[in-house]
Amino acid sequence: MKFTRDWLQNYVDLGELTTEQLADDLTMVGLEVDSVTDLYENLSELKTGRVLTVEAHPNADTLTLCQVSLGQQTLQIVCGAPNVREGLGVVVALPGTTLPGDFTIKKSKVRGIESQGMLCSERELGLSEDHQGIMELPAEIEPGLLFIEATGLKDTQIEVDLTPNRPDCASVIGVARETAGILRKKITVPYKNTQLAPTSSSFAVEVENPELCPRYAARLIKDVSIGPSPWWLRKRLLSVGLRPINNVVDITNFVMLEYGQPLHAFDFDTLTDRKIVVRTPRPAEKTFTTLDNVERSLDEDILLICDGKEPVAIGGVMGGLYSEVTEKTVNVLLESACFNDVSIRKTARKLNLSTDASYRFERGVDPEGTIDAMERAVTLMGEIAGGTAEEGGIDVKVAHQPVVLPLRSSKSAALLGVDLSADKLAELLNSIEIPSSKEDDNTLRVQIPSFRVDLEREADLIEEIARLYGYNNIPITLPGVDLSFPEQDEERLKRNQASKIMTEAGFSEAINYSFVSSAYDDALQLDGSDARRSHVHLLNPLTEEQDVMRTSLLPGLLENVRRNLNYQQTSCYLYEIGKIFLPAGDLPLPEEPLRIAGVMTGNRNGPHPPLYFKAEETDISDARGAVETLLSEMRLNGHDANQQIQFSSAAEDTTEPFCEEGFGINLVTGNGVIGTLGKLKNDILLNLGIKRDVYYFDLDFSTLASIEPVAKTFSALPVYPSVKRDIALLVPTSIPAGNLVQTVLGSGEKLVEHCELFDVYQGDKIEAGRKSVALSITYRSATRTLTEKNVEKAHSKVVKRLTDTYGGSLREE
Amino acid sequence: MEQELEKLRSEAAAELVQIQSSGQLEDFRIKYLGRNGQLSGLMKLLGQAAKEDRPRLGKLANSVRGDLEKIFTEKSAALARQHDDAEKPDLSLPGRRRVKGSLHPVSQCMEEICEIFASMGFSIAEGPDIELDHYNFEALNIPEHHPARDMHDTFYIGDSVLLRTHTSPMQARIMEQQKPPIRVIAPGKVYRCDSDITHTPMFQQVEGFLVDRNISFADLKGVLTVSLQKIFEKDLAIRFRPSFFPFTEPSAEVDIACVICGGDGCRVCKKTGWIEILGAGMIDPEVFKMVDYDPEVFSGFAFGLGVERIAMLKYGIDDIRLYYENDLRFLSQF
Repeated sequence: MKFTRDWLQNYVDLGELTTEQLADDLTMVGLEVDSVTDLYENLSELKTGRVLTVEAHPNADTLTLCQVSLGQQTLQIVCGAPNVREGLGVVVALPGTTLPGDFTIKKSKVRGIESQGMLCSERELGLSEDHQGIMELPAEIEPGLLFIEATGLKDTQIEVDLTPNRPDCASVIGVARETAGILRKKITVPYKNTQLAPTSSSFAVEVENPELCPRYAARLIKDVSIGPSPWWLRKRLLSVGLRPINNVVDITNFVMLEYGQPLHAFDFDTLTDRKIVVRTPRPAEKTFTTLDNVERSLDEDILLICDGKEPVAIGGVMGGLYSEVTEKTVNVLLESACFNDVSIRKTARKLNLSTDASYRFERGVDPEGTIDAMERAVTLMGEIAGGTAEEGGIDVKVAHQPVVLPLRSSKSAALLGVDLSADKLAELLNSIEIPSSKEDDNTLRVQIPSFRVDLEREADLIEEIARLYGYNNIPITLPGVDLSFPEQDEERLKRNQASKIMTEAGFSEAINYSFVSSAYDDALQLDGSDARRSHVHLLNPLTEEQDVMRTSLLPGLLENVRRNLNYQQTSCYLYEIGKIFLPAGDLPLPEEPLRIAGVMTGNRNGPHPPLYFKAEETDISDARGAVETLLSEMRLNGHDANQQIQFSSAAEDTTEPFCEEGFGINLVTGNGVIGTLGKLKNDILLNLGIKRDVYYFDLDFSTLASIEPVAKTFSALPVYPSVKRDIALLVPTSIPAGNLVQTVLGSGEKLVEHCELFDVYQGDKIEAGRKSVALSITYRSATRTLTEKNVEKAHSKVVKRLTDTYGGSLREE
Repeated sequence: MEQELEKLRSEAAAELVQIQSSGQLEDFRIKYLGRNGQLSGLMKLLGQAAKEDRPRLGKLANSVRGDLEKIFTEKSAALARQHDDAEKPDLSLPGRRRVKGSLHPVSQCMEEICEIFASMGFSIAEGPDIELDHYNFEALNIPEHHPARDMHDTFYIGDSVLLRTHTSPMQARIMEQQKPPIRVIAPGKVYRCDSDITHTPMFQQVEGFLVDRNISFADLKGVLTVSLQKIFEKDLAIRFRPSFFPFTEPSAEVDIACVICGGDGCRVCKKTGWIEILGAGMIDPEVFKMVDYDPEVFSGFAFGLGVERIAMLKYGIDDIRLYYENDLRFLSQF
């Protein structure tokens, strides 16, 4: 809602109040001021002038040579406008002045004659589209003054960001009422509580759907002369960014802004049968052309204003092309009506057409303000357009039921935390014209004015009290509540724990949008049957790149890798913990399990120069190590067979489709695969614009979070010393080295405490097809110090087990 | 003999001064103090001296040996010290550190906020990102054709399913399940179909609400004032001004004194000196009625704050889009 300080001043005396203070005060009563703009600053250099003489230009038929007075000085200016004449008040741009559109005037010669400035048209000043001639100033304006001051254009525009509950303030009078409340003054308005003499013989109004149109009033104004509006009216419209059209239309717009009541002017002579019928479309009425020359589809819920034959307007939204006021119009039928808010809103949405009228109707227009606004417009049409209003008019209405609400000072005190007497409450409400009477010491009976359609309950009145008393005058207290121990969301705690582990391990946290492009399904080479291809779709995505809810965190993370590598990062380790969205059959809402995924590329030692750590390329062991760290720090390698997580090399048919074969590891529990890790296929990366190896992991975090962590329990420190034996075994290269460790630990030899791989070697010192696997085995007894003999016995059993299992031989050191 | 011993003593002492390295020192030791060194050579000649001179010469020789050994040991220690100096670390080098990652700034800020409310006894609960129209709107007193729906640019999944536009649905979900007293915060992602310099289509909010007997607007002011001062770690000026949300009555927008200019007016606060930081209010009786709470018995307040905006103000981030690009040059700053 836009208005100007000067306009507001018409209804309330602002006195010495600065505009800045006004803006602040309005904001603090809930009319949030969005901007305060000094108008026409860009026209501040222009001067007023008066044309003294006009002569023909010696070298051009269409140009004239004018002597223009600027008071103290007289200038010679060449002008091409047809309306330039002696005595005319004009707007003068002197050399050096910059006009809107960044056009700077220079002293120049036009066809050989010097021109010392320019006379401006309204279009050149950015005031209208009129470029038929130069702007004509009222005759009484003195030459040589600053244009915006002399014409009263200089003003300050204030824009308020209205909340949907305050349609009463979608009018300058409404804002004035709030302002008067702040200043403890009264407003003066042109018409108030006007009655309409309900007589008219020359036209009729029928309302078929009173539930959609509780009030429809109209008057006939005859013999108007359509033309441009006077300066004061155009100035008002321009000051709030509205384009002046003609006097009749400008009046309807002006009164709408003034009163908040949308009005519509029909060319009366276009109405068949001199009749208005308010109704929904007949079956044959499928389309209607609005005055913006767009053909609109109709349906049975759209309320139409019709004449005796066909629609002439979409009620409360927009008039029709064929009944609008044109320069040929002689008789005007002026409509002032009230429409159902929900109906208008539905219509505006269906037609995707939001107008100043629909904005007000869908929020609620004062049902008792209909006639005041109409009478204001009728008077102006008489004054400005020379029309003669027919005596009386028609007002078809459903009687408005006045609303009376109780307001208890005790309830107000309890809800606001400040104790105000009933008298004080009455005084506050009265400041914005809400009358009340006292029922008892505690209770007021509040008569809700018709313009406050938002006040329906005691709670609404208590908000008014808070607002008028001042939110910042309400004390600050802390609630007196019982102590309680807050519930903790387990999954959330686990998520925080995992985040801590991952950042400690060198990963930075990424957060990506929950929606991605469905094109990633193909980019990741997902099979046709892959469950991740069934997405939750957005009906109205912002872009095609965000058309579905994600079923994997990897697309977002890969996009992040691409970006970071493009910005020359030598290392990129990112993880994300977030929801994926899986359609859940017939259930209304999808499943939203949490996953944790990571991507790793480049130098495993980070982006820093290798002073202490060499630049080393990330490999599969880094990916596995990251997952191992996560699981062990979360204490998830429990003993429950169903929950124990095994790392298993992915077979061809269980490898993720985007994972390079032979580089995939599945994490398996008794209940199935709960995640995978591996290396992304090169062709996939290249298609995504990534030219470096990328390793990933992707785990079901909801499942991880549900696994009972291994409890922290103490085991006694060993009393007896351990003995270590290292062996190197030559085995076929096809045997996974990790299996040897499992064999040692599973050998059943009780003295084995620990076994560690410490070297895997394959090369020219060893015969082809074999590799050397070096193990360090720790032996210990809990009950005695081991002798050489004990160890030897156990060790040789273990070695035998190994060689039997793998057909390997001990490697000679 | 006596002269030769004295000469040996002074020559050796002079030579020792010149010695720079442990190798030279070893040569010195062999030359003078070794088994076949010069001192031993002289001492072997002792037997040839006159009998009455022997004790005196013997004593002298021992004194020379003692002196030489003493200065040799000193020199040896000095050289060792010099040697150590060469081995000393260059303390100007940076420390050796393992690579560490960092938590996303929005997560960091979110955690701080949650911690602050948790310390005041608020439980933390999370709800679904994809929500029913019922919880996102209807249960919050926003019926289908309410103009307040214009304030929510909603992504739709289906007729009655959408991406939640705020975390407020958790008010309805929790009140449906529990009876007062309730003290809960609900953090999470929310979505609006709006994307420009100041809006991302996804962002994070923290919803908070408290329902009990005798809870007032003054209490809301108290809880928010305390928590905002904790969040921004300073005694900020805070103002409450009237606003409108269908699910609170009275409703308030809360502004803090601009943390950039301190209230003098700058670009960030649009020269007003104030920055809008959250929306709040007393829970509307209609919302209570929908979950069968008696508004004559219970009252409560609710608030919702945008985490990105708070992080921007706390850390001085000037472009909201940076949050979801996950550029390491950005992430590593926090």
